[in-house]
Amino acid sequence: MAEYNKPIPQPDPHSQPFWDGAKEGKLMLPRCTTCNRVHWYPRLICPFCHSRDIEWIQGSGEGRIHTFAVQHRAFGGWADETPFVTAYIDLNEGDRMMTVLRGVDPNKPETIKCGAKVRIEFEKVSDDVSISFWRVVEGG
Amino acid sequence: MPGPASRAAAIIGAAEANEIGYPETPKTAIQLHIEAIKNVSDQTGIPISMIDGIFSAGWSSQIAEHLGLHPNYIDTTSVGGCSFEMHVHHALAAIHAGIVNVALVSHGENGYSARATKGRGTGRPQGGDPWSPDAMFTAPYGVAGAPSNYSHAMTRHNHVYGTTPEDFAHIAVVTRQWATLNPRAIMYSKDTHPAGGPITVEDVANSRMISWPLTLLHVCLVTDHGGAVLVVSPEIARAAKTKPVWIAGAGENMSHSSMLEMGDFTATSAAASAANAYKMAGMGPEDMEMAMIYDSFTVTAGITAEMLGLAPRGEGFTLWKDGRAAPGGKFPINTNGGGLSFNHSGMYGMQLLVEAYRQLSGTAEDGGFSGDKGKQTSARSCVVNGTGGSLSTTGTLVLVAD
Ligand SMILES: [Zn+2]
Repeated sequence: MAEYNKPIPQPDPHSQPFWDGAKEGKLMLPRCTTCNRVHWYPRLICPFCHSRDIEWIQGSGEGRIHTFAVQHRAFGGWADETPFVTAYIDLNEGDRMMTVLRGVDPNKPETIKCGAKVRIEFEKVSDDVSISFWRVVEGG
Repeated sequence: MPGPASRAAAIIGAAEANEIGYPETPKTAIQLHIEAIKNVSDQTGIPISMIDGIFSAGWSSQIAEHLGLHPNYIDTTSVGGCSFEMHVHHALAAIHAGIVNVALVSHGENGYSARATKGRGTGRPQGGDPWSPDAMFTAPYGVAGAPSNYSHAMTRHNHVYGTTPEDFAHIAVVTRQWATLNPRAIMYSKDTHPAGGPITVEDVANSRMISWPLTLLHVCLVTDHGGAVLVVSPEIARAAKTKPVWIAGAGENMSHSSMLEMGDFTATSAAASAANAYKMAGMGPEDMEMAMIYDSFTVTAGITAEMLGLAPRGEGFTLWKDGRAAPGGKFPINTNGGGLSFNHSGMYGMQLLVEAYRQLSGTAEDGGFSGDKGKQTSARSCVVNGTGGSLSTTGTLVLVAD
């Protein structure tokens, strides 16, 4: 496997359950046990009700495109992959993640739709870290 | 009814560094600060030694030390390009509270010179926390720099309101018209920049793709800028040799830091910061006669116009498309040529302040489009809105002529 030449995140301690899940191909999400809402990114306190009782649940790995853009200029390893499509994903469980979309043609952005269904997949980028990507599974 | 802090302070001068834009020899950020500070002192006749409060985007201690000042109020608010509108808000509050009499708001940023020296610019602190939300959850996906983020807002606006990139292109075209009236603007003419002079919607659409749907001409410049503004108590303002421009209202707000937390990609906290500013002023958007709106990108300006109540949601771009915002139009916007075509150093909030002061005090020396000497407009009120971060933070001012 060619060495992964794009930015590799350094997991912080309180998001570790997400990264542990990612290594196993599972989407782990933080959920407040007081108001039952899922939030993203992982917090030390619920951003909705300010409870500190937060559990980790396995998400469905399904969502929809909220919005997207096609990057024609990038730096480092990503520069070799332009154009590529970045997107914000509305999780079925609530709140939103960012990603690079798979299963789309960056040269035909008009064929990509806000609202299109997407599914998560993970790519191992180092021994410790796997990153989530989302693939379009159905039009918007 | 205006709030108690309304008109508790005035801007009595606004000046720039000796050289802005693309200087022939590289400038440091502190040089751009100091030149502008000296110039605003000369302009107003207020000696630098009278400054008792310093407001800047992270530079206040360096500025004070460089000037040999021991200020009673030190503000380093640095939340992106809107920081300077917030500084005026904070200075107004400090003066209203009786803590400060002469507040300096200063900006120095060498976006262009830093490129020449292969640096990253020294106008603002660079974040490097590997455990920040963006470092962990957005940077791994190849977004880098503002254009790669703001494009997501344009896509969503297009989706929700049926707008098009061409609609927003009118903002670039009209803003360029203003730049052709401003000899200080980078894009004033073919003499100041090979791509300067008037542009068309087709030019915008056909320019190089940066981050779809944003092409190059939807995106601001990268230049050097230094600017300084003096905000003073009413007593000092009335005695000054320069014309005061009164701070009728000021407000600030934020919706998020990382774009991960931007709830509505077609809206910003300018709705809230403007509500605060209008409430303090006892005025509303219908009372405004011009606007200075942060235009890091066409989409920034279009959305912000909606947030400021100048147009219905989804229709901000129509202010430019139908000519109201253009030279000679009923509601001038971005009379300096904007961040798109005048000057954008990375944080553009100071440029907004300088131009708003020039127009409302009648001290713009650029000929005067309206026929009024020293003014491109006859406006006596102006709403100024800065936007910082990834459509994250906003500061709004309602400024009125004396
Ligand atoms: Zn909660």
